This record gives sequence, structure tokens and C-alpha cells, in this order.
Amino acid sequence: MTSTTSTPLSGTGRLKQSATSAGNTSRRRIRKDLLRSRIAAWTAILVIGAFGLLPVYWLLATALSSPEDAFQFPPKLIPTHITFSNFTALADNDQLIKYMINSLVVASITAVLSVVVATYMGYSFSKFRYRGRRSLMHMVLASQMFPQALLLVTLYAVFSSFGLLNTYTALVLSFTTFTMPLCVWMLKGIFDTIPDALLEAASIDGASRWRTLHSIVAPLAAPGMIAAGLFAFVRGWNDFIFAVTLADKEKQTLPPGLVSTYIGEFQAAWPELMAASLVVSIPVVVAFMFLQRYLVGGMTAGSVK
Amino acid sequence: MSTAAPPRKAAPHRERTGGRLSNGAFALLLTAPGIALFATIIIYPLVSALFTGFFKQDLRLPGREFVGLDNFAYWLDGDFLTILKQTLVFTVGATLVPFVLGFALALALNSGLKGSGFMRGLFLFPWVIPGVVVSFLWMWIFNANYGVLNGILMDTGIIDESVSWLGRPGTAMLAVIITKTWASFPWMMVMLLAGLQTVPKELHEAASIDGAGAIRRFFAVTWPQVRGVASIVLLLEFIWNFQHFDTIYVLTGGGPAGATETFATAVYQTAFKGFDIGRATALGGLWMLLLLLLVAVYLRITERKGDA
Repeated sequence: MTSTTSTPLSGTGRLKQSATSAGNTSRRRIRKDLLRSRIAAWTAILVIGAFGLLPVYWLLATALSSPEDAFQFPPKLIPTHITFSNFTALADNDQLIKYMINSLVVASITAVLSVVVATYMGYSFSKFRYRGRRSLMHMVLASQMFPQALLLVTLYAVFSSFGLLNTYTALVLSFTTFTMPLCVWMLKGIFDTIPDALLEAASIDGASRWRTLHSIVAPLAAPGMIAAGLFAFVRGWNDFIFAVTLADKEKQTLPPGLVSTYIGEFQAAWPELMAASLVVSIPVVVAFMFLQRYLVGGMTAGSVK
Repeated sequence: MSTAAPPRKAAPHRERTGGRLSNGAFALLLTAPGIALFATIIIYPLVSALFTGFFKQDLRLPGREFVGLDNFAYWLDGDFLTILKQTLVFTVGATLVPFVLGFALALALNSGLKGSGFMRGLFLFPWVIPGVVVSFLWMWIFNANYGVLNGILMDTGIIDESVSWLGRPGTAMLAVIITKTWASFPWMMVMLLAGLQTVPKELHEAASIDGAGAIRRFFAVTWPQVRGVASIVLLLEFIWNFQHFDTIYVLTGGGPAGATETFATAVYQTAFKGFDIGRATALGGLWMLLLLLLVAVYLRITERKGDA
């Protein structure tokens, strides 16, 4: 890598020689630097890696432990009796299955609603210039940063007066407060990448603006729309604060459902809770495997968390 | 702040065949469903929250009574400063610690090691799993009777007897910050890694040949290139943590003895345990005022970065 820098200007032999020896020193220095940075890098990875991944190991180990092993002190770092009974027990728990269905329904509807509304809004923000556009965009961006706990207090009062508490509607609408802004920004970023020339061509060919959006732009943006929908789904699936407050046992989603099922006044059933936690995480982890590609771009565009 | 450069010119996307709407009107029509939804579920509740702070109102009952600034006085004469202090301790801790960890990891993964792509994916796990699961897991790790943390610390002789990490005022905040750190350092890592990857390798080599040491190279070459990403990441995380709810609520509920009470938990508990919506929204108003300042700073910074 250093050969170009150490290539001497053609000149006298003496010059040539000194340049080469300078090249050697710098090569040696770089090699030493490289070794040092390798050591530093591995130290960081091992230390932070232990902090990051040991809890994951513990989640898995506990989920696979029998209650006898789990409730032992000091804990057994490597479970001796591996069992899947904690997972099979979940399938027999009708209430948990109900929570899971609620989660699937609410998160899916939230995702579809958010993407549809955000597609129009994002398209408008991306391809048109008009008065008030900037303020609207700022409003959408800033709305993500208002405190959910406060929003929730008055949303509760609003839903209560319309008789919407304990309904899917209340959950979908409240989830939309944080999924829609994110979808708008992601989709605006995606429409920005579609060249204006394409829209011009469509309009010259006589396509109406609606037709251009629905039959030309939307199919091109489809992968991005799916990504935005998945993000919204995950956020809805993960929500705790709205679901725990706006819905009762009948309509509650998984995250608060797990709290009410396992964290009681009595001793929590930790191995089962860890197994349930793993199951809850599966759709999210799978979604993110698909989303890897959009992750950084989407996050920087929409300030998603 | 989008990664792709947005088109600057006005889109010459003009209706040629019989459109009755001007382009501006068409564009506004597109935003109409979004605006309607926004107005109903975000703006109206937030504005109404600001007014409710001046009333005495029970969350479960319809009527209310105007009490002026009573609700605000209740907080300002009472716990406001304690809650503000604790919110700041949590926010600063849960922002800076994961930033340092995420940055260190990003630098390590960016140094050209084999398998860093795979490791990046692996390290994402804590960030990807649902927040409630994160809280459960750490509750179990911190558990006073069977917790693995106590087990390890006693095995290694660091402590003599089990500590109730979440049950003691002195350690509860630390435990909450550690939990939140675990959940957010991977996000910091991904963002900073993306920033680092824009730094041309040649710059490092050139600086190295010129004899700059690792620290010198960091401040002269690396930092200027990631400063933009770093400031956005820090500010966003600060704003999010300032209003964070889940981790604290599930782990401690604001306890023990109010030691982890933040604006989020205090507003929530006042409204849904005390049913005092007037007091809850009054505290919420004060909280929002502080948040607005932060958001203004955020918009300032993103604005400068381009077509925000």
C-alpha cells in the first residue's frame, strides 16, 4: 500500500536511496501501528462483546433450563438439564396465544395504514414544492419527539369519551402516532431517489398525476414501502406503553401481556418468561434480517430508532 | 438529512391532460389524510394536554374545575427539581455510556478485521429485541435471590452477599442505566460505523506515514469526518432518553422510594395511578417546554445538514 508514496522522484542515486529508506521506516511504522490497532480492536470487541452477548446467552440458557436449575443460587452458568418444556408450555397458554393474535392484527393494520398515508404524504414532500411544505415536514419530524407518556394521558381521555378504549382501533391509532412520522420520512427518502425525468416522461405520455403515482412510482418504490411497513410493524409489535394503558386483557398485545402473565405479586416464572421473550423476539429478528439493507439509510433518513 | 441527495429543483411534473387542480393543490391533497390523522391523534391531544394542566380533573370522571396555576405550583413547590435531576441523570448516563461503547465498537469493527460484518449483525441483537424483553432479561440478571450478576460477583469475591440491585435506591438508577445502555449501544454502533465508513482509508495511511500516532489520527482524521453523525446520534438519543418510559417502568416503576422517578414515570403514575389528569398534564407541560428546547436544537442541526 505504501509503494506509491515511497516511489522516488527520478533523480540522483543518492536521492533515490534516501527515499527508499524513508519508505522502509514508514512501512515499519505502519506495520507496528496496524498491530497495535488490531490489539486495541480485539480488546474492545471482547470486552464490549461480553457485555453485549452474555445477557443473550443467559436469556437462551434460562429459557432452556428446568425450574430447578434456574432457581439455584449461585446460578449454574451452563444448564445441566436442557429442556424445551418452557417452550411447549407456551403453546398451551390460551391467553398468551390471544395476546399474540392481538399483536399480529394490530401491528399489521398499523403498518398498512401508516404506509398508505405516508406514501401520499412522502410523495408530496419529495416531488412537489409548495408553501407550507417545510413546516409540515418539520411538524412530522418533531412529532416523533414529543413525550409519549404525556400524549397517552390525553389520548386516553379522547378514546374514553368516544368509547374506543379496549379496541383494536385505539391501539392502531395510538401506534400510528409513532409509526407514521417514521414512514413519511423513510418514504420521502425513497421517492427522492426516483428521478424527476421519469415523472416528466409519464406526464408527456399523457399519464395523469394519480396514474403516474399509482402505476409508475409506487411499483418502483415498492421495496422501500415494504421496508417502511416492516419497520412500522416492528414498532407496533414492540410497543408497551400504549398497549398497557389503552387495552385490557381481551385486546392487549404481547409485551404488556407478558408482564401481566409472568410478573405478578408472586415469584415470576423466569424460565418460562425467558422462553416467551425469545418467542416474542422471533418476528422482530426475522424482520430485521430482511431490513439489514435499509437499516442505516432508513435510520439516517427518518431518525428511526 | 436523508442519505440520498434530494432533488433541489421544483419538480416539473405538470398535468397536461385535463387536470383541474394546480400542482400545489394536488400536493396538498396528497398530504390531506396524513394531516387529518396528525391533527386528530397528535396535535389535538397535545394541545388539549396543555390546557388540562390548568384544571382539577379526575381521569375517570367527565367534569373539571378551573384551578389556575395550582397544578404547576404543586410540582414546582414539590418534587419538580428531584424529578428533573433524576431525569437528567438517567438521560445523560443512558446517552453517554452507550455512545462510548458504540463508538469503541464501531472503531474496532471498522479497522478491517475479518468477520466484522457478521459481528455487526450479532451485536445488533440487543437493540432489535423488544424493549420489554430487554427489561425482563435484566430484571432476571439483577434478581436479588437468583440473579446471575450476584452469582458471578460473589464467586469472584467482589461482594459478600446478594445485592438487591433494583430494590435499593442507591443502585436502582445505575441498574436502569445499564439496561438502557445495553439496548441502545448497538444502534450507536451502526450509525457511527456508517459514518466511519465514509472516511477514506488513504487519509489514515497518509497521516500514519507523516508520523501521526493513533490518538492524533483519531482527532485529526476520524473525528472531523464522523462529527456530524456523532452529534445527531447524541442529540437524538438524548431527546429519546429524556422521554423514555418502558425500561424504567418495567424495571422499577419509578421506585424504590422514587429513586428512579423521571418525567415519564411521574406523569404516567399521576394520571393512571392517581387519576389526577390535571397534575399529570401540568408536569407534562413543564416537561414539554424543556423538550421543545431540545427539539429546536435538533431541527437547527438537521436543517444545517441540508434539505431536512
